[in-house]
Amino acid sequence: MKKIVIVLIAILSMANVFAQVKVVTTTTVISDFVREIGKEKVKVDYICRGDQDPHFVEILPTYMLKIRNVDLFIKVGLGLEGWAQQLIDGSRNSKLHVVDLSENISKREVPTTKTDGSQGDVHPFGNPHYWLDPENAKIMVKEISEALIARDPANAAYYEKNTHEYLHRLDAKMKEWQAAMASKRGKKIITFHASWIYFCERYGIVAAGYVEPKPGIAPSPSHNADVINIVKNNGIKLILMENFYSDAAPNQIARLTGAKVYKTATAVGGSPQAPSYIAMMDSIIKAFDGI
Amino acid sequence: MVKHGFMLCLLLAITVWAQSNVNPDISLIGTTGISTNFTKNDPDKGKLVFTDPEVEMLVEGYLNPFAKAAAVISYEDGSFGVEELYAHVVNGLPLDMQIKAGKFLVGFGKLNTVHPHAWPFLQRPLFHQIYFSPDGFNDIGANFSFILPFESFYSGIDIGVFRGDALTHSISAEDTYEAAKQRRGNNPIGVARWNGFFTLSDESNFELGVSIAGGLLDKQAVSVTGDTSLPSVIKALNFCYTGLDFKYKYKPDAYTSLVLQGEAILNNRDVVRSYSDGVNTIQNLDHISTTGAFMSIDYRFDKQFSVGCKYDFTYGLIGDTPGNTTLGNDSKNKTMGYEGWIGYYPVEETLALRLGFQSLQFSVADGPNPDPRNTVQLQMIFSLGPHKAHPF
Ligand SMILES: [Zn+2]
Repeated sequence: MKKIVIVLIAILSMANVFAQVKVVTTTTVISDFVREIGKEKVKVDYICRGDQDPHFVEILPTYMLKIRNVDLFIKVGLGLEGWAQQLIDGSRNSKLHVVDLSENISKREVPTTKTDGSQGDVHPFGNPHYWLDPENAKIMVKEISEALIARDPANAAYYEKNTHEYLHRLDAKMKEWQAAMASKRGKKIITFHASWIYFCERYGIVAAGYVEPKPGIAPSPSHNADVINIVKNNGIKLILMENFYSDAAPNQIARLTGAKVYKTATAVGGSPQAPSYIAMMDSIIKAFDGI
Repeated sequence: MVKHGFMLCLLLAITVWAQSNVNPDISLIGTTGISTNFTKNDPDKGKLVFTDPEVEMLVEGYLNPFAKAAAVISYEDGSFGVEELYAHVVNGLPLDMQIKAGKFLVGFGKLNTVHPHAWPFLQRPLFHQIYFSPDGFNDIGANFSFILPFESFYSGIDIGVFRGDALTHSISAEDTYEAAKQRRGNNPIGVARWNGFFTLSDESNFELGVSIAGGLLDKQAVSVTGDTSLPSVIKALNFCYTGLDFKYKYKPDAYTSLVLQGEAILNNRDVVRSYSDGVNTIQNLDHISTTGAFMSIDYRFDKQFSVGCKYDFTYGLIGDTPGNTTLGNDSKNKTMGYEGWIGYYPVEETLALRLGFQSLQFSVADGPNPDPRNTVQLQMIFSLGPHKAHPF
């Protein structure tokens, strides 16, 4: 009898060794970080595909099922994932721990006055597209690391080692990106959505105008004319846009001004060039070649 | 007056909430429009009719980490009403059960739980109007919801018990409603639905549902033998609805989607048929078994435009005053509907303009068929308040 108990305890503790922390993230950028830190000790899945607009994700029961039996749910926050809470409620997972990565980010475009529909679909808690600044990526990685350690303290050293290694790699890449962008400081570009402010701030790029007249508002002919004037008057050479938006309006602006349209993934897996966060940032930096 | 006082207090409370930091989400949805008809012999034929504006105010929020609550106050046909008012326990219960209790849209089929302004089409399915009520199936009660333990696809069961008054609207006109409710007495009805949700690919999803509802619908004095010298007895008139619903959505990108949706109902219910033996009116108990269904297709393109059509069929006559005689004849009469629409949604659901056409055609067993009823309607819907997530 005693032997059986000992064997049982041994098996149970073995199972514990191999038990992975189960994580679901809202975006693929977050799941890439989780994979880098947790490696084989975590099982990670995501809701929004890399080629999907994270502002608009449908409430699908399939997503609720994904969250149903996991330990951690990690999101960008700042109202980007207006759909997340309904998925969490629908999952009926009462042991779920929700992590909001925006907590320690220094936020931009936080409205100081009351916002309403006349300003478009403004993000009421500040601009949530902060992951496009690699300096913020480092903050996200540290938060994720802490969350994993809190769930699985037995493997703290493992997570810390991976975090350290990844941050090291990120630092090296950041030097590369900084060098590539050094000559672009002060350059003006057009972006589709107000999603590039953190990126622009990091590299001293000036977003001189948006293809969308206001956040979330579809391009209009009269606004296109304004953008064309901005492009012409400032000699702008680049229109930078997420690849899930329609390129009809940007292409029209490009045809009439000679600027180039660069469609890029802003999430991991959004294009073949973006299998990881680092590769994704590489491809974004490439947009500035020759401008 | 009392009712208006209550509404005023409620509106005041909402204003106070709105100014505090811990506040529920408040949205206001308005519907207004004009319509005209091209029905032979209709006095209003070809004239523009301004429909009464309708307002729906939705207040919702979390009560605590486990439960939410919501109220939908409506202003329709010149009066305020509580359309929905419920608490919803979303987690922390055994078996991962969720409980919704209060007054709400009953989950018989999928469409009934969605407010009409969020439908792609303008007109309520005809079978809803015959078997539920002109405003759908909205009742007071409780719903218990469970997820079934399948790993590969989402599947759930909802079991509810309701007061049953909502369906009294399907068997009585407005002026006889209170009397019918009295006759019915306190006899709750049961409603259950199974649904399965299947992700077919990154772009397409499919939902299938089976619903059932049953209970006591009315009580009537009937003659048991047909012999009028014997006293009539009070008999319960029971009903059993079985429903099938499906929805398929193909969404290749953020700008395009195709939705195919349909629902069908099988109605089994007791009815009373009255006839005269020359001297007396005799009421006999009878049973009818009838059906109804709709199928719609909606194509959304360029993010802002939608076009679609819907085919409707039901036993019973739309526009008939519900009552014993009409109910008894439901098995002999049919209504067919053909609807088409184009919609313009400039910025998500904040504003919508929809132009719709519907033709109703009638088939009456005894007597001539009424003229087809053709209507054209232009509708404007606006939605104030926080951005809503998009359900499937
Ligand atoms: Zn945004």
